Amino acid sequence: MATAPVIPARIDYRHLVQDGRLHGSLYTDPAIFAQEMETIFHRGWSFVAHDSEIPNRGDFVVRRVGTQSLIALRGKDAEVSVFYNRCPHRGATLCQTPSGNRPRITCPYHAWTFALDGRLIGLPDEGAYPPDFSKADAGLTPVARMDSYGGFIFVNLVPNQLTLREHLGHATELIDALLGLSPTGRIQLTAGWMKHKMRSNWKMIVENQVDGYHAPMVHGSLIAANRTFATVRDRKPTSPTRVRDFGMGHTDIDHASDYRAAGDRLFRWTGGIEPERLPVYVKAMNDAYGPEDARRRLIEGPPHSMLFPNISLAEMNIMVIEPIGPDASIQYTTPVFLEGADDLNARTLRRCEGAMGPAGFLIADDAEIGELTQMGVANLEPEWIILSRGLGKEEVLPNGVKLAGLMDETSQRGFWSHYREVMAASQEIVH
Amino acid sequence: MTATLLDTAPAVDVDPKAVEQFLYHEARLQDEHRYDDWEALWAAEDILYWVPTREGADPTREVSYIYDNRSRLASRIRQLNTGVRHSQAPQSRLRRLISNIEISASDGGVAVESNFMLVESRRALMTIWAGRTAHLLQRSNGSFKIKRKVVTLVNCEEAIGNLAFLV
Repeated sequence: MATAPVIPARIDYRHLVQDGRLHGSLYTDPAIFAQEMETIFHRGWSFVAHDSEIPNRGDFVVRRVGTQSLIALRGKDAEVSVFYNRCPHRGATLCQTPSGNRPRITCPYHAWTFALDGRLIGLPDEGAYPPDFSKADAGLTPVARMDSYGGFIFVNLVPNQLTLREHLGHATELIDALLGLSPTGRIQLTAGWMKHKMRSNWKMIVENQVDGYHAPMVHGSLIAANRTFATVRDRKPTSPTRVRDFGMGHTDIDHASDYRAAGDRLFRWTGGIEPERLPVYVKAMNDAYGPEDARRRLIEGPPHSMLFPNISLAEMNIMVIEPIGPDASIQYTTPVFLEGADDLNARTLRRCEGAMGPAGFLIADDAEIGELTQMGVANLEPEWIILSRGLGKEEVLPNGVKLAGLMDETSQRGFWSHYREVMAASQEIVH
Repeated sequence: MTATLLDTAPAVDVDPKAVEQFLYHEARLQDEHRYDDWEALWAAEDILYWVPTREGADPTREVSYIYDNRSRLASRIRQLNTGVRHSQAPQSRLRRLISNIEISASDGGVAVESNFMLVESRRALMTIWAGRTAHLLQRSNGSFKIKRKVVTLVNCEEAIGNLAFLV
């Protein structure tokens, strides 16, 4: 289904996505899914990999963006390239394993061999090709555009008008906030990924990532069983936590506003651990930023955000959403390791496992609710989903950022309003 | 690697029938969601319940699906016992087969490896799970307590669905 050609039906996204309600077909219609892959994932910027996943020459990871399998690899000159995972000869898949290290890439079919910069450097019996055959024309195909911010590598397969910085907009501040928890300003995504099969549309996962409304209900069993997951425990209607719509579809739940309001306690974002138990990390932060600024960072903690369309900076985890079909997705999760913070990293790893993934105390239940929602919206009536909580009550800052209460659906509307613009514009251009 | 447990000599002083019966008993408690009874099979402290994301993974540096110490395991059971852990409400219908049991002596107790195949039925979906389990058992009052259990799913490197039941 994902590889089917775009069905040339004109879909009225301005009708389907309204300010306070959404049409159920947005989650179920295969034609809409196919258009999303083309418009959002291929023509837009999508996260593909982090710099730290491929630190050495020849390191590669294979990732799917939209319907496309891509190889992100580090070449001889230490630069990262992203190529289509397809032999230019007869089309075989080049890399089967999700990650690895290779000095060069050899196709399993006819042993055409490529250098790490994509050049075709050898093939058996080259002389049998016609005189106009040139190896220079048969290298690996790189993606149209690749750029990175803070080590996060994004690709754009069909060039659009935006630079990565323009696409990210205010989201760079969220990435900066995460990197700013590291004494060196660098993070390492080296723990590998949990891969979680979700039986729901990718947009439901996006919406749920920044939903401040569901936690007491969906995660009630965890709240009853284990009270150390602070950000869950504090999700009450009276919480000072805000949700924010940054524009361009980027949104977050600003727990820092809650942590600041609660006074000067450090580490509420990692279970309220006493600073004395993380001496290496605390000292490194003090040395790097000075005691006062380090203290502010350790109070405010990491962002809880969703960057359009496929990556969530989920506190001390990174989550990536891979759409598979209208009713299926894979969610990838890895803990965020901070360079120079081994004591905190050990804790972050164990907390990631506790909360996230298919056996996690939180996300297994989110997956279940996603599946129930997917089953629900397959029913034709009622046609519309209600998404109006807090509508019209948002505070709009001079820079355009919208603020609302923790449980308001402002974050979901932030995603959807950008979705509507992008999808509606594609109908006007293509048809 | 889980296989290294079996590099020691076969356990001549262990009754293989007793070990088998223990594994079958544990399997039934898991299949029937007898959470507290299952938890009681574990040693009181210093335990590990581990489901890696990769065969041969280093759990101090790589993320696992489950890496429970005693306290984390207790939380897992408490959460299931609330009855509103949505991913297990309704509970999966489960039955598992255990086979290819190999037993060896170990300094810390009795090392057992076995294969399992588990059929999960939940709503309209039937899922087959399979893998290799490495138990480290401690003798206790004529039976055993579990000190360590490592479950390496055959598809641990692929995307898996919810694993909220006891594997």
